[in-house]
Amino acid sequence: MEIENMAIESLDIDEVATEIIIEEVSKGHKLLHRHKLTKKQIHIGRDYHNDIILSDPHICPSHACLTFVNGQWQITDHQTVNGTFVENPKQKKQDANQHIVQDGDIISLGKSQLRILFSDHKVAPTVAFSPFESFIDLMRHPVALFLSLTLFTFIAGGIFYLNKPIEVNFSQLLVPAIGMALGFALWPAAVSLVSHLTKHDARIMAQLGVCFAFFNFMWLSDVLESITSFNSASNSVLPLFALLISVALAFSLFWLNAYIGFHMTAKRRIIIAASITTLLFGGSYVVSYSNKPEFNPRPQYDATIMMPSFLIASSSSVDEFIEDTSKLFEQANKKALEK
Amino acid sequence: MKAFFILVFVLLSTSSYATEQAEQLFNQLKPSLYQIKLIDKASGEKSSIGSGFQISSNGIIATNYHVISSFALHPKKYRIEYLDSQGNKGNLSLQSVDVINDLALVRRDVKQDMPFFQLSQAAPHKGEQLFSLGNPHDLGMIVVPGTYNGLKKESFNERIHFTGSINSGMSGGPVVNKEAEVVGVNVATSGNSIGFLVPHDKLVSLYQAFQKAPPESIEQQMAQQLTANQDKLMTEILNSPWQNKLLGKQGSIPIIDVPFIRCWGDSNADKADALILTAVANCSLDENTYLSSRFFTGSMEIEFRTMQAKEIGANKFYHLYQQQISRARAGNRAGKDNVTEYQCHHDLVMPDNQAINNKSIFCTRAYKKFPDLFDVLYLSASIDRDKEALVSHFTISGINQANALAFTRKFMEAVSWK
Repeated sequence: MEIENMAIESLDIDEVATEIIIEEVSKGHKLLHRHKLTKKQIHIGRDYHNDIILSDPHICPSHACLTFVNGQWQITDHQTVNGTFVENPKQKKQDANQHIVQDGDIISLGKSQLRILFSDHKVAPTVAFSPFESFIDLMRHPVALFLSLTLFTFIAGGIFYLNKPIEVNFSQLLVPAIGMALGFALWPAAVSLVSHLTKHDARIMAQLGVCFAFFNFMWLSDVLESITSFNSASNSVLPLFALLISVALAFSLFWLNAYIGFHMTAKRRIIIAASITTLLFGGSYVVSYSNKPEFNPRPQYDATIMMPSFLIASSSSVDEFIEDTSKLFEQANKKALEK
Repeated sequence: MKAFFILVFVLLSTSSYATEQAEQLFNQLKPSLYQIKLIDKASGEKSSIGSGFQISSNGIIATNYHVISSFALHPKKYRIEYLDSQGNKGNLSLQSVDVINDLALVRRDVKQDMPFFQLSQAAPHKGEQLFSLGNPHDLGMIVVPGTYNGLKKESFNERIHFTGSINSGMSGGPVVNKEAEVVGVNVATSGNSIGFLVPHDKLVSLYQAFQKAPPESIEQQMAQQLTANQDKLMTEILNSPWQNKLLGKQGSIPIIDVPFIRCWGDSNADKADALILTAVANCSLDENTYLSSRFFTGSMEIEFRTMQAKEIGANKFYHLYQQQISRARAGNRAGKDNVTEYQCHHDLVMPDNQAINNKSIFCTRAYKKFPDLFDVLYLSASIDRDKEALVSHFTISGINQANALAFTRKFMEAVSWK
């Protein structure tokens, strides 16, 4: 009875284990092709007799085979020119001849790589749709996209109008406004292109929709920044908060770009979004710092003024202003003593 | 016809008499006249030239401060050399300066008593003929006859207006009357035979002070003079009447009623296509103190500007208005070696009379070599009217903290809407 049982069990193992999944993967272990086989011997090589046909010129016509022996898969290298190796995180390359295959092993032959999995290989838990998905869906809707594009162009035109010291007509504003919208569309287009090139979905509409929605938020944060610096004195920290808002907006935009365009872990996405944000803000700081002359004979001050309806803060008295300015003399004296 | 002949004859005779007199004076004074050169020690070549004249038997020579300014600020880099009428050269040492009146005393070593210029006891009278001596453009010593035309009007620090050609290189040379007494020192020109001289009494007081007690350090002496001068200037400005004047339709601005601050005005009322009607009033002190070719101080500028939107909304008006106030610059030339960078403060400010609400900006930078002297800049923009604005702005260079703050306070309280 016991013997029978054992026989049945071993038969089970045989049947389960003969199912094998072989994935062709890139150097970065990205999946290229997947094969599921139920044979006991699998031939790998360049000619057309093989079960797995690889067109890599560095692979021999009959390169290697996987054989199911004693409930285990074993690799045999057919004395090939370039050899067969097991990728191992500890040792760089290990000869794969007679190697007993473990679940998840990566075998390299020629310049190609194969990942071998058994059917009981654990997969990652299901990823639920994030709440961003509904926001992205809303923004990629043609009507929403059209609205945010129009709003962006309208605001850009409005800003051109406000800063022109001469009279301008509508078409004189329309051309630079559309130009600006096209210029800003380059970023989502570039992200889509990169995700397309890296074998992901391009999702250009989603990228455009989300980007222009955020560009409009950024206009809003600009206005907020102006209002705070208009309403606060130079020793206030409020404008710093306004700056933080624009940094947060930029970070969120880059995070969503990565979320839409690429499959990656949450940690990686945060790192990427944070690095692009740092590059953007830090880069502009470095550029302005490197252009800064050694000595600036001109005073640097914040001249932000807005029309009286944006005035919220109450004004200081002349006495308070004079007291604040008297501190400047101490600062200047300290600077004079530095060198 | 006869009268005409007589007139021509008289003119000829006076001009030939003047030439004769100039020649005689020149020969008499030549031994005490010098060309003064600043020699760069490293290259051994001259970096600036001027003239000078001996005022004592023991070798004290008077010249302009600006001739030897590089030496005063960088004594290790230069040396001062003289060249006399016989072609002898020798070194000079700096003894004392008056930066405000652009005078300096240098000394040459003398073995025996030497002839020297007598300083006049009295000021010349208007129309009196004077003779300016000096070495223009290194061309050799010359004598230029000219006329005394009184003191320059509207100047804070007195200058003689001399009608006669003064050219560069003659700086520091003496101007004498017919009795060969010094009545002034060549200092500046504004072209077309308009020359300016430092009155002789400034030289007399500098020399007397030097005889009493020579300065311990030139830099300290300069700092004292700059501080005293700004004190004198600001006391006069703060104690003189400030008259309110209308600028544009609604702006009320102060005009400081002192002769040495002069105002000019302009507007764009003639430009039909301008979006904003602008009127500007500029007032400034027409003089400044030379410290080096890259460092001037003692200047003061005041500017008021009213703006009124014509056919644009408040939002656009304020955008254009902001462009107008975002590029204020220093009123004087100064570099890294002399001053720090500006430190600025801004705030919304309403004077106690509540007649205006402003965004006010105040910036200051300190002098590195002269303690407790600053350049200040103030800019204020009204923010309480939708389509109308009043900008008030001033820069003062070389002022101490107390005077700067007192002036700022008075200025802020004097600007308002009518």
